[in-house]
Amino acid sequence: MPTSAMIAIEAYGLTKHYRVYQKGEGLWASLRGLLRRRYRLIEAVCGIDLQVERGEFVAFLGPNGAGKTTTLKLLTGIITPTAGTARVLGHIPWRRENAYRRRFALVMGQKNQLWWDLPAADSFRLHQQIYGIERKQFERTRDELTALLGVRELLDRPVRELSLGERMKLELVAALLHRPEVLFLDEPTIGLDVVAQYNIQQFLKYYQEENRTTVILTSHYMKDVAALCRRVVVIVAGRIVYDGSLSGIVDRFSRYKVVTVVLGNGQPVPSLARFGELVSSQAPRVKIRVPRPQVTETIASILREHAVQDLSVEDPPLEEVIVEVFSQAACPQSTTRGEAPAENPATA
Amino acid sequence: MAVVWTFARNSVIREMMFRTNFLVETLASMLWVGANIGFYLLIFQYTPSIGAGTGWGRYEFFIFLATSLMINSIVHTIFMPNADLLSERIRTGLLDFVLVKPMDTQLLVSFERLDLSTAGNFLVGVVLLLFSLAQLGWTPGLVPIALYLFYVLCGVAILYSFMFSLAATTVWLGRNQTLYDFWFYLTIFGRYPMEIYRGTLGTPLRLLFTYLLPILVVVNVPVRFLVRPLYPQSAADWLLPGFALLATLVCLWTCRRVFTAAIESYRSASS
Repeated sequence: MPTSAMIAIEAYGLTKHYRVYQKGEGLWASLRGLLRRRYRLIEAVCGIDLQVERGEFVAFLGPNGAGKTTTLKLLTGIITPTAGTARVLGHIPWRRENAYRRRFALVMGQKNQLWWDLPAADSFRLHQQIYGIERKQFERTRDELTALLGVRELLDRPVRELSLGERMKLELVAALLHRPEVLFLDEPTIGLDVVAQYNIQQFLKYYQEENRTTVILTSHYMKDVAALCRRVVVIVAGRIVYDGSLSGIVDRFSRYKVVTVVLGNGQPVPSLARFGELVSSQAPRVKIRVPRPQVTETIASILREHAVQDLSVEDPPLEEVIVEVFSQAACPQSTTRGEAPAENPATA
Repeated sequence: MAVVWTFARNSVIREMMFRTNFLVETLASMLWVGANIGFYLLIFQYTPSIGAGTGWGRYEFFIFLATSLMINSIVHTIFMPNADLLSERIRTGLLDFVLVKPMDTQLLVSFERLDLSTAGNFLVGVVLLLFSLAQLGWTPGLVPIALYLFYVLCGVAILYSFMFSLAATTVWLGRNQTLYDFWFYLTIFGRYPMEIYRGTLGTPLRLLFTYLLPILVVVNVPVRFLVRPLYPQSAADWLLPGFALLATLVCLWTCRRVFTAAIESYRSASS
């Protein structure tokens, strides 16, 4: 069990509900809405329990509207919860104490915090004053970060003239100038090309390992998550449905394995279909999807009945499993309020 | 203070980047002021004062107009762009980044931007004020000048409070362009000496815009220290400045409460 000194983030029963105006379709419904409004309750986050140790790099995974970003906003104190409690570095986030706000940073891939018309250097100077960073330390950190991200020569160009990737790198520099202990990243690589994605991944990996910063990342890119996080928290419909390692997701949620068979010459390819669901067939290579409990027995039967040149067994692609997790969890039967996380290496 | 200074510096740099836009806006603003002065010059061709025995002759009124120009110039240069930005940030969710900064949120959102195109009106106001005082042949003492400046700041504070309270309501309304229009129509009442609000229609308006929505004290109170000096008039004349000070404090307090409540209710647009 981690001691309280080791815990960076803890949340119990964290809940956020919104009441939203439900507008009917068409002009008549709009006119009716002027007199009598109908509201719908959105359960954005429903009783999230979470503990994150200092120095952990944790990913929040989930489909759009699952509650990942809302959870992030609750933990940064941007919004106030409907129920539940949370502490980050010992502070209750929504009290918005300056002592807390000096210790974390937030980067949002879809929102800009640098002054649009000014060079990033001017925004950085403002950050220095807002966070009260001593001048020499500010210059040292700025130079170090801009060198690591290869953006030093961009400091004097207006932000609006930069590419999305360049902007995001400078957003990261701005967020890290005050050396935060906790870094919240909301889809930092969204919309970036593969090169920019890779560079930012590598930077985050290096920075986190060097500084032992606690990082919470939300991303739709499995490559980000696979490259950076040992622990993933899957959130669906505002609830945590899985908390554990990335590989654990496949073990827990994938019901199939993919068996690839390369047959000897002259073998009838379609005959393998009876062993499992045919994924692809391009003689002499055949791919079938086999239920996990039957994999050993199936392989034995194939080897017994066919002349096999080569055979391999793989887990299905992670993206495919994640889709399955999301769709399983979105089904009411499979999601239970307050369901205990399945596995948590941090607390195991 | 350093942060406010850097905000101002960044705003100036930003405005200078769009030189033509800045010049056109400044010109348009100056033309509007010129038209305003011309309009009142035209009116004073037909009458020596606004209402018999009110004391608002041509130059007394121009001191009023100059003060109104200066107060509105401060509000439009510093607070109007920031109130607009606050509404926009609430609507788009960009307030998120302000809320995570380790500084007072209201202070941060109040001073971030400057709209320098209306700053020139302040200088026009100062020139008009000095010219009108010279025409009246009156040199105010240090105390009236100090009180005048103090109540100009009180007027700015009252308008700021109204503007930011309305901007903060975007949290609940989603969009509040109508409220901005409301603010504009409301402040129109404060552009004239309170003596014009008389009779069955005027008196209720004067009471409403003095004691309930104290727009009328914004310009009227500071101007009285120059145009119709309180010294050595009766002690009863201190009631209005006393009330103006109280109104300023109540407005600032109310604005703080509305702003805090708005931040508590902030939902942050989804990203």
